[in-house]
Amino acid sequence: MRTRDGDTIARGRRIEKDAWAAPDARRHFAYHRDAMPTSRRQFLAASGLLTSAGLLVPGPAAWAMPRGAKAPAPGTPPKSAASGLSGSPVAAHAALARVAVEEATKAKAAYADARIVQWSTEGVDVRDERVSGVSSSTDTGIGVRVLVDGAWGFAATDDLSEAAVRAATKRALEAAKIGAKLRADVGAPPIELAPAPAAKGTWVAPFEVDPRSISARDKAELILEASQAALRVQGVKHTRAGVESIVEDKLLVTSDGTEVHQLFMRMSPSLTATAVHPRLGFASRDHEAAPMLAGWEYVTSLDLVGAAPEIGHEAVQKLHAPAVKAGRRRLILAPSNLWLTIHESIGHPTELDRAMGFEADFAGTSFIGPDAAGKLRLGSKKVTIVADRTQPGGLATTGWDDEGVTAQRWTMVDEGLFVGWQTTRDQAAWIGDKASLGTAYGQKYSGVAFQRMPNVSLQPGSEGYTTEDLINATDDGVYVTGRGSWSIDHQRYNFQFSGQTFWEVKHGRIVGPLRDLAYQANTVDFWTSCDMVGGAGTYRLGGSLGDGKGQPGQSNSVSHGCPPARFMANIIDTGASK
Amino acid sequence: MTLSRSQAKKWVDRVLTQASFGDVRVRITDERRGHLRFAKGQPTTEGDVERLEIHVTAAKDGRHATVTGNRTDDAGLAALVEQAEALAELAPPDPELMPPLGKTTHATVKATDGAAARLGAAERAKAVAAAITTAKDKGVDVAGFLSHAETSTVVADRAGLFAFHQDTRVSMTTTCRTSDGTGSARAGYASFAAGGLDGAALAEDAALRALKSKNPKKVDPGRYTVVLMPDAVADLLSFFSMALGQRAADEGRSWFAKPGGGSKVGESLFDPRVTIFSDPKNAKYPSSPFARDGRPQPRVEWVKGGRLLSLTAERYWADKQGIPSRPRPSSWFMEGTSASLDDLIADVDKGILVSRFWYNRMLARRSLTATGLTRDGTFLIEGGRIATPIGNLRYNDSPLTLLTKLQALGTPERAAFAGDVVVVPPLVVRDFNFESTSDAI
Repeated sequence: MRTRDGDTIARGRRIEKDAWAAPDARRHFAYHRDAMPTSRRQFLAASGLLTSAGLLVPGPAAWAMPRGAKAPAPGTPPKSAASGLSGSPVAAHAALARVAVEEATKAKAAYADARIVQWSTEGVDVRDERVSGVSSSTDTGIGVRVLVDGAWGFAATDDLSEAAVRAATKRALEAAKIGAKLRADVGAPPIELAPAPAAKGTWVAPFEVDPRSISARDKAELILEASQAALRVQGVKHTRAGVESIVEDKLLVTSDGTEVHQLFMRMSPSLTATAVHPRLGFASRDHEAAPMLAGWEYVTSLDLVGAAPEIGHEAVQKLHAPAVKAGRRRLILAPSNLWLTIHESIGHPTELDRAMGFEADFAGTSFIGPDAAGKLRLGSKKVTIVADRTQPGGLATTGWDDEGVTAQRWTMVDEGLFVGWQTTRDQAAWIGDKASLGTAYGQKYSGVAFQRMPNVSLQPGSEGYTTEDLINATDDGVYVTGRGSWSIDHQRYNFQFSGQTFWEVKHGRIVGPLRDLAYQANTVDFWTSCDMVGGAGTYRLGGSLGDGKGQPGQSNSVSHGCPPARFMANIIDTGASK
Repeated sequence: MTLSRSQAKKWVDRVLTQASFGDVRVRITDERRGHLRFAKGQPTTEGDVERLEIHVTAAKDGRHATVTGNRTDDAGLAALVEQAEALAELAPPDPELMPPLGKTTHATVKATDGAAARLGAAERAKAVAAAITTAKDKGVDVAGFLSHAETSTVVADRAGLFAFHQDTRVSMTTTCRTSDGTGSARAGYASFAAGGLDGAALAEDAALRALKSKNPKKVDPGRYTVVLMPDAVADLLSFFSMALGQRAADEGRSWFAKPGGGSKVGESLFDPRVTIFSDPKNAKYPSSPFARDGRPQPRVEWVKGGRLLSLTAERYWADKQGIPSRPRPSSWFMEGTSASLDDLIADVDKGILVSRFWYNRMLARRSLTATGLTRDGTFLIEGGRIATPIGNLRYNDSPLTLLTKLQALGTPERAAFAGDVVVVPPLVVRDFNFESTSDAI
């Protein structure tokens, strides 16, 4: 039975696909393993001896990412790719979007926009040694949004005939008028939009290889090979692997005179190995590759096949690892784990609509009050967090948002002090702002645009620490990589996160792997306990294609960059908990 | 109106006549839906969406691929089939590909309601106005969501399969929060029919319970006897139903795997009062009589008298194991008693009443342990009565606890916040583990 759970990174298939890039710890130990024959490596991995050497190799950060993605963002979107828009079916329908906006303007709409989107996906799924699915999909349509007498109306259709578009526009206008009467009846003030200058242009998210140019056979062979490589590890009984590429082709026309055409390519690779043991049960290990705003070059740069044996070994290792000593302890989080904690504990509570109560029925509200900007201290001095829609590789990076507002970068947490919200054009006035920060997004053509999360990232520290520096400075703690179970309350106070790999840290060294654990904390306590953050060289992007919010639920794609960082939290042995 | 049966037949024919492969399968969904949100005592966003989806799967010599599109002109349909066949040629052979289903019979289920199909902006505004006005009268803040949809689904193949189903869905949720921000409650309506939709009644129910939940006391986490309302039961049972796969059990990667091999099917695992079944034909709570791939959804007993009777099985695995193939069902029912919630509370000396859970996630698959938090009304029970509202708590526990440490069952009700048809009783359960407290209201 499927239950609806909102304001969340969705669970289910999409989730399994959002694994991410190789953890630091994996690289640290790859050094030893490569020098050993397989059987000996497996014995050592299984017995935990391999890691007891505690040697850390601060190797180069050879982790695949789009160019520029490893640095905090520049403040202007990356240069548009030169190609990608030719032959766009969306451009061919531009006249329909203009018809809808003109029709609405004639009917006295104070504002109107029309969004034509073609959402195309291509996917390959592998299970063990077989390709279980090859698929492609295309979903094209138009959504028309109007503001009449201070109330919203919206209608969408996948029928791109002029008659259907006119009918949808009429339906949106009528609904807005009914909404305006309802607002008057219940004494609600009219909705007002902050102005946005007219924008005209095109922007194509940077890519080198269009995923649509790679044949399904080549994709399937690559993923199959990665799956087989993990399956060859002794003790690994099952694998799942896949890759999905998503191309969002979007044209926005607004009554402000804006007309912008954009194209986004997003890649989502995944690989999971499951070890099964007759006595110890089973354990799974996901590759930590993040979904990314990039072309197919990102998938090939990950070397999934080369990484697969390690994923397999670490699945087996999980079965044999000892339990963690529970209690309040130091916690070092790799970027591959910390991004999701940022998403849930900082990204969501700083959505202004949540703080104002507009998401109260589903996602919830926020522990941050509407008047808290500039007053609430939610972290230590080490904690500076920016919102950014210009970050190379960032899944929420764009040229303009879905209300025609230019992409921006702004500070949300300045050395621990909360200073900035996320806003759209109908929210700016709530906090006395004159303009929107450009965070409106509607899923495909059929979702009403509303406030959605930009890329929200923890800035690296000036000390230039490496992951090893954080570990060396820790007398007793655990190091966690990758995304595991995640859950947070509806005002974003109490959270609990697990991970993919867990390591015991003693006297400044990693002394061995640990069995499944989770860390639990209160958001403000957690960020206030942050006493070390890695330097610019350790900064990495994580992200998800399944950031859920709204009713009906919509999915947003968003990235979070961060260095590794150190905290205090309550560690729980989830192997023992029942 | 979405596609009728005869229109669906025409559409299927238009697609299948384009096929050159002998094995081409098609699934079409045609949906019209509308919604209105409200919060802070005012309507916010609304919309009407019409959307068609055509999925074509082409298969030949063990190779298969699926292409999805929404162009409906002849050229668009031809292109869709052509793409599916071309993509299938590129796919590596799949040794687990099953032949097309062909002619099957499935139950006919009436799941449409004329009034639900006719809902539009005017009707939405009326129900929402009633909720807003009622909440205002009670002095509480209100937020909510009204949604309705009509959907036609057809699944067919060249070997003779033709399965058609049409349904309507209406749902409304209403959250009331006290003006001091210390109390909150949620009420909901979910049905295939519009007849029971009453914005004022929902708002009144949520408002009264929100007021009762004001100024919660903090209690220590730990193990408690809990009284779980139907939505809380549905939240936890979803982890049980998601894990009910035969193949994962047979392959040793599920709680339902038997140590040493095989599955736990046939074992008496739960309290003898536990009976869980699926039934698409239930007149009050109808659901789809066939699965996405066209397999019929019969009435299935998953657990009877505490004994595990069946698991879900894909066609390939069922064939290989010589067991019936069972799709994931479209509905879940758990048997109960005639006891009311008050009856259940009256028999609890000390415990916690949970209205619903939130942000539930699997925590440890091996032990089928999940995590999540209470939300919208959590109360301490003392001496058979609700003593005081308490702060929210995080649980780390398993749906198996519900089925094994069962103290009492109440009258089954549809869980209003679950997406699917889930009809379960409130339950009293011993030793439920709360791990920590939350300040969220």
